[in-house]
Amino acid sequence: MENTIIRVKELTKTYRVPVRAEGLGASLKSLFKPTYSEVSAVQAISFEIPQGEMVGLIGPNGAGKTTTLKMLAGLLHPTSGQVSVAGYEPWQRQPQYLRRISMVMGNKSQMLWDIPPLDSFRVLGEIYSVPKKEFERNLEELVQLLEMKELLTKPVRNLSLGERMKCELTASLLHRPSVLFLDEPTLGLDVSMQLRLRRFLADYNRSSGTTVILTSHYMADVMALCPRVILIHHGKILHDGELGTLARRMMPFKILRITLKQESMADNELPELPDGVEVLEAESNNLNLRVPRDEAAAITAKLLETLNVADLTIEDPSIEAVIDQVYTDGGQ
Amino acid sequence: MRPFRLIGSFMRASFQEDAAYRTNFFISLFTSLLNLLTGVLGILVLFGQIDSVHGWTLASTLAVLGVYLVVSAVRGLFISPSFDSLSGMDGEIWSGAFDFTILRPVNTQFFASFRKWRLFALLDLVLGVGVLVAAVIQLGVVLSVWQVLFFLFMLVVGMSILYAILLIFAALIFWSPGVLFTWVFDGLFQMARYPANIYPGWLRMVLTWIVPVGVITTFPARALTDSITPVELVVSLLLAVVLLAAASILFRVGLRKYASASS
Amino acid sequence: MTRGIFTPSRGGWALIRSTWLSWMQYRSFFFILAFGWMIPPLIYLLVWSTAAGEGSISGMTRGAFVAYYLILILVNQITYAQTNWTVGDLIRYGQINKVLLRPIPPLYDALASEFAGKVVYLVFVVPILVILAFVLKLELDLTLLNALAFIPALIFAWALRFFWGYWLALLAFWATRADALLALQDSLVFLLAGQVAPIALLPGALKTLAVILPFRYMVAFPVEVITGQLTRPEMLTGFAIQVGWMAAAVILYALLWRYGLKRYSAVGG
Repeated sequence: MENTIIRVKELTKTYRVPVRAEGLGASLKSLFKPTYSEVSAVQAISFEIPQGEMVGLIGPNGAGKTTTLKMLAGLLHPTSGQVSVAGYEPWQRQPQYLRRISMVMGNKSQMLWDIPPLDSFRVLGEIYSVPKKEFERNLEELVQLLEMKELLTKPVRNLSLGERMKCELTASLLHRPSVLFLDEPTLGLDVSMQLRLRRFLADYNRSSGTTVILTSHYMADVMALCPRVILIHHGKILHDGELGTLARRMMPFKILRITLKQESMADNELPELPDGVEVLEAESNNLNLRVPRDEAAAITAKLLETLNVADLTIEDPSIEAVIDQVYTDGGQ
Repeated sequence: MRPFRLIGSFMRASFQEDAAYRTNFFISLFTSLLNLLTGVLGILVLFGQIDSVHGWTLASTLAVLGVYLVVSAVRGLFISPSFDSLSGMDGEIWSGAFDFTILRPVNTQFFASFRKWRLFALLDLVLGVGVLVAAVIQLGVVLSVWQVLFFLFMLVVGMSILYAILLIFAALIFWSPGVLFTWVFDGLFQMARYPANIYPGWLRMVLTWIVPVGVITTFPARALTDSITPVELVVSLLLAVVLLAAASILFRVGLRKYASASS
Repeated sequence: MTRGIFTPSRGGWALIRSTWLSWMQYRSFFFILAFGWMIPPLIYLLVWSTAAGEGSISGMTRGAFVAYYLILILVNQITYAQTNWTVGDLIRYGQINKVLLRPIPPLYDALASEFAGKVVYLVFVVPILVILAFVLKLELDLTLLNALAFIPALIFAWALRFFWGYWLALLAFWATRADALLALQDSLVFLLAGQVAPIALLPGALKTLAVILPFRYMVAFPVEVITGQLTRPEMLTGFAIQVGWMAAAVILYALLWRYGLKRYSAVGG
């Protein structure tokens, strides 16, 4: 692709962890001859991201998403493999590269604590060598988009979590990076703040063309923002593409919710159901069934004939259910 | 010019932080004066009883104290505050905010060395210079321009050695969480209030060449009072260069370790 | 708090033991601290003993300076007051409630920290002092009288320093920032408690101040007793002044504790 900005090939990260021994004898031995075990965090993953795309990196805790993100940002050295972001090798940490990227971490702050955010912004402007006029312009734009004018002069320690996150985002975008890495940016925020930040990110990505890589545990974030999703589990990529495709692949089912007329069901006696139908829930006159996607239409027709149906809905399994399945199964 | 603009930016932010914290200016001034007074009185009491020790008189010993105060002031001005915010007890390495530091398009060692300023230390600097001037007056000599320049040169050499040692201690954080090295060093640095020659022979050797606190304070004072031998000049200069290089290398190795081992 | 301040109890001992155990866990931290406190007197030991050289200064030979300072380090370690941190911090950070609610007088808390901490420090300090005594060739002319007199002098010195520190710490009830006062106190101790120089070597005005003020009696006095620097009349006057200051400190402590608590509960914990 002509405008690929991130290229990752066979990226691997393995940690050597010293084996902690139990008991005095073993401890002494480990002092003289330490043994290590190898922990594989990321195993030979490859992907490419074109400029301007917004990609979600999802996976259970410890899957390797933050490790991958940090290797892209240059914070970690890969064990092997190739990474190229905006034409640079991130871990070389060349100033020209660092000026083109930015990172926000949901659980850490880059703001100076006791002074108003504006002063932290000024220092950052100086660090990133942003010319004064451009700095003022960028700041004005971000303050408007994020509605944070009154926050600028309050000391950071007096701000709420949501207000602080607005500051973190502003701080990270003052120098107009080409690539923005977001590690759990909505962590701990209330629902309305999450919505507001999501809207901001979508608008900003659209208007500025900044490439955004986002990790989040909140499926709502990923569903709302990321047309493309990379699912990492046990250090390997299980899925790279649309979230919907993932759902269809992982869980090729449809959920049928049927409400029967009156008490058509004797206690604990289920009506006769066609093959391939799995009962998820059966209570009084409600039935939740799981049917293979391809047969959904046929089975629905059959059920409408054989059962006394008062109401019927057909749904895709929820994303959370899909993801849960993947996380627990390991993606079989 | 960019490094200077950056430093200016850091100084301004630090000043604002201190102001927000309402660090009391007058209490700082008071404790600085108290420190000065006790130091000077100590020397006065000593030389009230004797005229000289190993060739060092009241005036020349006062000069060493002056250098000690000036050096400590510069250390407290930016070196200690900056390194503390990196590797000290509330430092970035502990809180994880160090990740942001290595993301910045600024040389990390530069950033870690100049990032935080405690401008109240300028008070200590003025007081130290005052003691130096008093010592020179007491010496009763008229200093030539060369002597003053030579003094400043030895002062810079001494400061570089101090900076390098503190950088080494800061860099050790990448391997071991102990903050204890700096404390131990501080104890030894206290000995530098007095001329290294005042101590018994073996201790003088240790304080000059092994833990070179003697070079940091005594040598500049000697540049004012008598002369330093060319050998001592060359060796101390070499020591400064070697220590600075070693410290930078150690810091860089530590950074690599951090980037390889952290998760 | 109407309980008598000197009622021993099982609770008190248990407190001391548990404090000691938790302090022992942070051994290395305290050893480094003790090391740091030893340095200034060692510096003056070296400076004065070098100055004395082969002769003597005001009657003190090099070996005598060694003896004086090494014993000074020991006495300083034994009498050093930690109450500013134990009590003062409790008040400043509003945690004094936790101590007030215990069925043991808060004084025990402070005492427990005192003993626990000191034992830990002494474990480190005493061996070093013994080694230094050999290496630096200490000279001490010890008489039975001096040795016997040393014991009460040391006990009174500890009590004086403890209660003096306590009443100063109680000022936290009135003013949260006592930095300046503490800095001043440290300087006075440094100058007038025999660290900068044995009291006898201080110039006129300073020497008079040192004899009148309480600081000498916190550290230097016991050292002067045991090293035989004092004549019999000087020793007796010294004890008198020491006991007088000790009484004053205890009174100040009792007064400030009563009024401090009143103010504290009035202001709201």
